[in-house]
Amino acid sequence: MATINLIDIIAVLMMGTSFAVFSLRQYRHSVLAYALQTLLLVAIFLALYDKYDSHELLVWSVTAFIIKVVCVPLYLLRLIKKLGVVVDDEPVGGFFISPVVALSFSLAVAMMFYKVFIHFSIFKDVLPLFAASFIFMMGIFGFILRTSFLKQILSYCLFENGIHLSLALMAYTSHELVEVGILTDAVFAVIIMSILAKRFYASYGSLNTSKAVNLRG
Amino acid sequence: MDLLLLILTVPFAFGVIMFLMPLHFKFLQTFHILLSVIVSSLLLCAVGKVVNKEVLSLFHDFIFLDSMGAIFLSLIAITGLLANVYATTYMKWELEGGHISLREVKNYFALSFIFTWTMSLSVLCNNIAFMWAAIEATTLASVFLVAVHNDKKSTESGYKYIVLCSIGLAFALYATILLYSAANGKIDGEAMLYTNLLANAASLDPMALKLVFIFALIGFGTKAGLAPTHTWLPDVHAEGPAPTSALLSGVLLKCAMLGLIRYYAVVANGVGFDFVETVMVVSGTLTLFVSAFFLIRQHNVKRMFAYHSIAHMGVIAFGLGVGGAIGLFAALFHCAAHSFTKALAFCSTGNIARIYGTKDMTKMGNMIRIAPLTAVLFGIAICSLVGVPGFAIFVSEFLIFKAAAIDGKYILMGIFAVALAIIFIADFSHFFLASFGKVEGKVEHNGEMKLSENLPLIALAVLIVSFGIWQFDSFTFLLDQSVKTILKQ
Repeated sequence: MATINLIDIIAVLMMGTSFAVFSLRQYRHSVLAYALQTLLLVAIFLALYDKYDSHELLVWSVTAFIIKVVCVPLYLLRLIKKLGVVVDDEPVGGFFISPVVALSFSLAVAMMFYKVFIHFSIFKDVLPLFAASFIFMMGIFGFILRTSFLKQILSYCLFENGIHLSLALMAYTSHELVEVGILTDAVFAVIIMSILAKRFYASYGSLNTSKAVNLRG
Repeated sequence: MDLLLLILTVPFAFGVIMFLMPLHFKFLQTFHILLSVIVSSLLLCAVGKVVNKEVLSLFHDFIFLDSMGAIFLSLIAITGLLANVYATTYMKWELEGGHISLREVKNYFALSFIFTWTMSLSVLCNNIAFMWAAIEATTLASVFLVAVHNDKKSTESGYKYIVLCSIGLAFALYATILLYSAANGKIDGEAMLYTNLLANAASLDPMALKLVFIFALIGFGTKAGLAPTHTWLPDVHAEGPAPTSALLSGVLLKCAMLGLIRYYAVVANGVGFDFVETVMVVSGTLTLFVSAFFLIRQHNVKRMFAYHSIAHMGVIAFGLGVGGAIGLFAALFHCAAHSFTKALAFCSTGNIARIYGTKDMTKMGNMIRIAPLTAVLFGIAICSLVGVPGFAIFVSEFLIFKAAAIDGKYILMGIFAVALAIIFIADFSHFFLASFGKVEGKVEHNGEMKLSENLPLIALAVLIVSFGIWQFDSFTFLLDQSVKTILKQ
């Protein structure tokens, strides 16, 4: 019973950190919130391993810790330092409205999805399944509502975390190469987006993607 | 060594080797062509084995090549080779024009092998999650084939490409996870393998399959350029170098469409064909009319062809929607016909941009006198794109009409005819604008390209006409087998 509560608590904390990644104005703080969320993801893998004796998730937690708790945040912090940017640009709808919109719509969509997912999930833990959909949607809304390229990279990381959690809950028994393939893609996507962010900053003098209006029609 | 293993290693190895080569253009050019020929030969060998009814699989069916995969692998081999050969000419011009550095050319050649590797992997994966990973990897491998320059437009196109495709494909990953969890424990064998899922589709939960297909359509549809998530495509295809656009439009879109067709097959056999056909007709119709609307307004030759790519993805979706053996045959045939046609169209824009120094068709004219061969090749691409009889695309569009007529779907026939008519009018008005009349802008290269430079384009034109007037038995065999697999006959 205690383990079940622990998993639920971690799931709620993950939702809280996804809100923090989305809302925090300072890039550095957002990256640290992401690192914390991924640490919680590792913790949930370990808790699920403990509860269901699923050895695959033990391996997943180790790879996720190395790649997503250590490497990706360090890489992003280095990028922030290189670019010399500190605070996010004003997002669509303003700093206050956009988190409220993202939060409410993500909650609504997660309410719909988790009911479907729970029918087919290997683990029938309600709150983690709900959290996975919520985090995924927060990432999607991050892309829609935040104009900063860096915030969009973090949004990618967010929805990737949502998918990773869904994968652990619904398909952890799949071939081990599946997780390797998906993680490799995620890492390369972050690296490539970071290179483009550097180019973007050099071209536009800002990370504000709403300035990218040269290609239309 | 196993042929599939060679296909999975050689293009990647060639990409790495190319990165290490010295900065000497003549050498890089020859080496690139040589390695491209080797890669394409390997791919065609594998296709040949499937034509000879051999079953190719690796790692306990994790990797496999079926007849449907063989069709798309042959596109990677043929269209990919010709676009890569043309790339050496195009890059020579870019280098001479001072638009690109030799190091960037080398990186471009190297990345094109990595790109070919990821596309081949996406076609060969039987594991649906790994297939997803490979399709996502195609985006990552091709970002810097699009954004080759450091300017604003190039960066913007790269940004839109990776961001929009990654968001879209995330939904496809959810479809994959949901399909696996719906099948896990309910079917015999590994629930992540497409072949197992297809064989046991009838025992899967119908509601789950419907949701899976909607997610897959959003995900792979975004990558394939289906409306309304097509918005990245015009910017990316118009902004990249001509051979990149040829590869993206001619091959990459088809790889994403293959992913969608595999889901189409599983879901159709699980919930019945009516559901998937209805969804695909709606998607195809929307895509056709959205692209036709934007096509009329285009004066940028590459943007025009980019909207054409969207339109023809709509045709493929429409063919899948009309369904039946003939509709499916037509949709798969259209993948090949459009691949050759669009590769020729985009490669000819490389010639045109060299002649006029612009992509704006209102500043062109008199191409028939300045560069008659390029004008003819451009004309062949246009004729095929609008479905003139005797050219490849006519065959598939005619078969879609036939499939609809046999099933008595006359309203669909009408919708399809109206969309094609709009595209027809828009295209020929643009073609005449560029090819005849007075030049409104300036002519930077007053003359035809060398014959050797035009050879890949001529080969593509020959393929377009051949597929329009001739029936290739081995290719028809692959199409028939694929249709039987989807229909489980």
